[in-house]
Amino acid sequence: MVDEEEQKEYRWETGYEKTWEAIKEDDDGFLEASVADIIQRAKRKRQAQKQGNSKLGMMRHLYVILDCSDSMSSQDLKPTRLLCTVKIMENFIEEFFDQNPISQMGIIIMHNKRAEKISDLAGNARKHIKAINNLKQTSLIGEPSLQNSLEMALRALKLLPSHASREILVVMGSLTTCDPGDINTTILNLKSEGVRCSVIGLAAEVHVCRRLANETGGLYNVILDDCHFKDLLYQQVDPPPAALTLESNLIKMGFPHQMSVEGTEEPLTMCMCHVDSTDEGSKLNTGGYYCPQCYSKYCELPVECRACGLTLVSAPHLARSYHHLFPAANYDEITYENQTVICFACQKNFSETDKQVYRCPNCTKIFCINCDIFVHDILHTCPGCATNLSTFQIAHNTTQ
Amino acid sequence: MNNLEIPAETTPEFTSTSETSLLVVIVDSNPSQKMLRDNPHVLTHCVDSVIAFANSHLMQKAQNKLAVMACHSKTSEFIYPGPNKPLDVRQIDGQYEVFTAVEKTIKHNLAKLLANEKSTLVTESLLAGAIAMALCYIARIQRTKPPGCRLNSRILVVTGSGDSASQYMNYMNVFFTAQKQGIVIDVCALDQHLSLLQQGCDITGGLYLKVPQLQGLLQYLLWVFLPEPPIRQKLVLPPPVKVDYRAACFCHRELIDIGYVCSVCLSIFCKFSPICTTCHTVFKIPGPLAVKSKKKKIKL
Amino acid sequence: MADSENGSSSQNSLVVKPINLECKNLYDYLKTRSRSTLEKLYNHPTICLAVYRELPELARQYVIRILFVEQPVPQAVVASWGAQAFSKEHIYVSKVLSELSVWQEAAIPGGLLGWILSVTFKRNLKLALLGGGKPWSMSSALEVDSKARDVSFLDAYSLERWECVLHYMVGSQQQEGISADAVRILLHAGLMKRDEDDGSPVITRQGFQFLLLDRQAQVWHFLLQYLDTVEQRGLNLVECLTFLFQLSFSTLGKDYSTEGMSPGLLIFLQHLREFGLVYQRKRKVGRFYPTRLALNITSMQNSEGPVLEEDTPKGNIVVETNYRVYAYTDSNLQVALIGLFTELLYRFPNLVVGVITRDSIRQALKGGITADQIIGYLKQHAHTQMLQGEVKQPLPPTVVDQIKLWEIERNRLAYSEGVLYSQFLSQADFNILKEYAETNGYLIWCNKEKRTLIINKSAHDDVKKFWKRYSKGS
Repeated sequence: MVDEEEQKEYRWETGYEKTWEAIKEDDDGFLEASVADIIQRAKRKRQAQKQGNSKLGMMRHLYVILDCSDSMSSQDLKPTRLLCTVKIMENFIEEFFDQNPISQMGIIIMHNKRAEKISDLAGNARKHIKAINNLKQTSLIGEPSLQNSLEMALRALKLLPSHASREILVVMGSLTTCDPGDINTTILNLKSEGVRCSVIGLAAEVHVCRRLANETGGLYNVILDDCHFKDLLYQQVDPPPAALTLESNLIKMGFPHQMSVEGTEEPLTMCMCHVDSTDEGSKLNTGGYYCPQCYSKYCELPVECRACGLTLVSAPHLARSYHHLFPAANYDEITYENQTVICFACQKNFSETDKQVYRCPNCTKIFCINCDIFVHDILHTCPGCATNLSTFQIAHNTTQ
Repeated sequence: MNNLEIPAETTPEFTSTSETSLLVVIVDSNPSQKMLRDNPHVLTHCVDSVIAFANSHLMQKAQNKLAVMACHSKTSEFIYPGPNKPLDVRQIDGQYEVFTAVEKTIKHNLAKLLANEKSTLVTESLLAGAIAMALCYIARIQRTKPPGCRLNSRILVVTGSGDSASQYMNYMNVFFTAQKQGIVIDVCALDQHLSLLQQGCDITGGLYLKVPQLQGLLQYLLWVFLPEPPIRQKLVLPPPVKVDYRAACFCHRELIDIGYVCSVCLSIFCKFSPICTTCHTVFKIPGPLAVKSKKKKIKL
Repeated sequence: MADSENGSSSQNSLVVKPINLECKNLYDYLKTRSRSTLEKLYNHPTICLAVYRELPELARQYVIRILFVEQPVPQAVVASWGAQAFSKEHIYVSKVLSELSVWQEAAIPGGLLGWILSVTFKRNLKLALLGGGKPWSMSSALEVDSKARDVSFLDAYSLERWECVLHYMVGSQQQEGISADAVRILLHAGLMKRDEDDGSPVITRQGFQFLLLDRQAQVWHFLLQYLDTVEQRGLNLVECLTFLFQLSFSTLGKDYSTEGMSPGLLIFLQHLREFGLVYQRKRKVGRFYPTRLALNITSMQNSEGPVLEEDTPKGNIVVETNYRVYAYTDSNLQVALIGLFTELLYRFPNLVVGVITRDSIRQALKGGITADQIIGYLKQHAHTQMLQGEVKQPLPPTVVDQIKLWEIERNRLAYSEGVLYSQFLSQADFNILKEYAETNGYLIWCNKEKRTLIINKSAHDDVKKFWKRYSKGS
């Protein structure tokens, strides 16, 4: 699907774009409306692209490779490249697990020509955020080694079952890499294992990064400023289209529930997640989730049972991912000709300033632009379709 | 307010929260729900209680805001403030004129809505859709509020119908959206226990109550749901019940402990089947581990 | 056994504390009314509604919970409604409810004490909430007004009328005459006083403080002063208060009828008209429009943040972290007010620029304005740009803190009146008395070695009694 290579021409080779012509003054000579319009358009465009992907890699296993070399101390991002990255990364991790609750993430840093794993593949956001925060004290020395870190990530990703979507995300500040061997073989290995590698460059475009991304079906982008950085990073939150090599599988999962027998107190027990951790020891308490297979207790979900290896999740965790698979239908943009007085969802009165309104193809209800964005960005349910039983059923049959 | 502590002479100020509180009440007025089919007069009682409750909310603070929705199987509508121009209401008795306007508008719009309702018997009320509309409405109020104005919003669902699994996805979408936006969803069940909506309360930090006696509806509403979320910690309210988050399988709709999940579309099945009924993916048969190495060769 | 006060130090001779403007809210006002007056007031649904809204958060929940209960509710039961961690608040709330006679203690068969809502209050609050009874006096039916006024007109009108009063106070040149009645109220309230030389009214320090209040607080304070004099004018206080609250619960942009109002009320209405609380085209027209000034007159403590209304007036002052103040205004009054605590730098047709300095603030403090009032004023008028971004504090914290520090540096000494106890015979005697004073919060200062302590003056009698009891016992 995405494996084919697309050779993009360089920016300076593309046609002469008159970007300023896209911006027009409104009647009062203000630019704001025009700029807002451009932003809205970009949002809608991205939205439209999202549709159409029928198969996504839902069980993601992502290794984040962070450059911690000398070049990260540069101050072109405020206060420094590293601190800026750490801050943006924190939010990214939270958002990632919010949107992909049954996925896992690991973090590798590269400094002084070596790769170092600072957190293993795991589904717990807090652990990763802690690890990332500890980076603030690391000394930034030497050159990075792209090959070493890619190899390290590959070694871990290789072992995963075949239905897992394998991804690597590199945040690269340096323009050079110091590798022990031929990186091209590593790239080929990654490609054959179906690992999708994306790179975000903090400085300038580097050929080897572009090649890595293109070969493995990932994205390669160089940031303009911190806002753009954030934007690029957040693109990685949505699950990527499933790679061709990805297998479909039925995975056995457990749905633990609290052990409560009517009228009796729950016994005091210890949870398995903290039983051998040193900083916060396991405490005897009631409550918790019990693995339905071996009855080990865990204090939070999702988790992989340490005793029997069963993946334990709760139903809402799965449900949180459904919207990637069954997004709300895209609305059609139509010019406003008094079709209706108010927006169906938010009850806003339409006026002359609303030149465009948006219509759902299923329920033909009319919405304002803000609701269009809200519905597709956050809500993922069309209020029109969801309130009428006949359209409700249409919507469901087409998406399923 | 300030980082500088100035010794205060005044008595401790307990009257906190100058926030505006926005309440959206969703009333399930679907005439074909079981409760109303058995006894249609119950609706009048429920609507009266809800109106009195809504007015009590407005009575709390001058700046409090209110919206009321009616939810049916074919449509959901805002019955207050309503799409039309506000009614011109003059005082007829000792009631505060704003309250009179609320009562009149709700009854007027609801009567109109019920008159348009066809007599087809669809017992399911699409509450998830109504909540989705309410979320859009709240999002607009949030967007257009003057800068510096603080707003806490909540949604109260009053319903007598059951929750059906067919709306499961919509329910989950609205619950997570509400959680993200910091909107509390309260649920007052009149007739049946609602396990899905109870999950929503648990996710968003709202309260769930199954009313034991319909006669006392107003009292239950006032006791449990009137305090806005910031004050709830100061009052003793029904404790959160442990919610059963077990999944229901897509094939038989039964709650299961261990199940099989399709890696492509995350559908849940209680038994292994070779084809996913949702996304029509063909699965390989689980065999001995040796299969895995063979697969790798094919990939190469 | 020889101890007694040797001397008492009183601060009155040392320093004269400036009399500050006392701003009462509805609760403070009603607290000072007699019980029978309260009962009379509670006969009107409007007042019950206003009082209810003025209650603390928790109290409102309590009242609504027992609104439909006919028998007294045991006090222990009421106490169990609040969470353990907030028991202090529960005690405070119970006190407020008793003080306002919203509820009373009542005995329950079985010897328990219970709370019961005042019958009148309960009846009338229910009326306001659920309907029934007689309509409020001003709601007679009206023909449609052929010359109906819209909200923006009413806003402009009320603003002009109210500013007229304020302008008169600062004596700026754009003043129009205001009636002798209004002047009398200003004098009565101590906001202005007769000049010693020519007898013309001049503004007092309280007057300046008054000017810095937000509009709603100004109106409320002014009306309270007016209500004080109402009985001398032969008007009925209860009637006026009821009418005032009816106004405050009316709808902006709607007309109301004067039909059936007593002559006294009609006079009151004319006064309100003069201050811009209501609009009437002509005196005899039989209808009037309430303005924004009259609405929600009592909700003073809520004025911290802007409320969720589309058409409220916007602020116009920007304060920067470099202590500069920009005010987009052409009103002489506002320029004069800003001049009270800033050094004005530039003046343009629609903008004045000033800078806050230590001297300018000290000048204002010397004039009797407090730091809180200055900060409150700046906050009240903060430009919408300053409120952007969901920050709690619209003003730069550095500026706010600095203004407060400048105020504190003037008050390094705190005075409190006390009585000196010394020459105790034994350390034990001293300890007993000290402990007693300490546990009751009377102790101001003590010295163990010299066996002296200073006790709050107001507690002197109490301590003396305790000492007598103690020495008799020993």
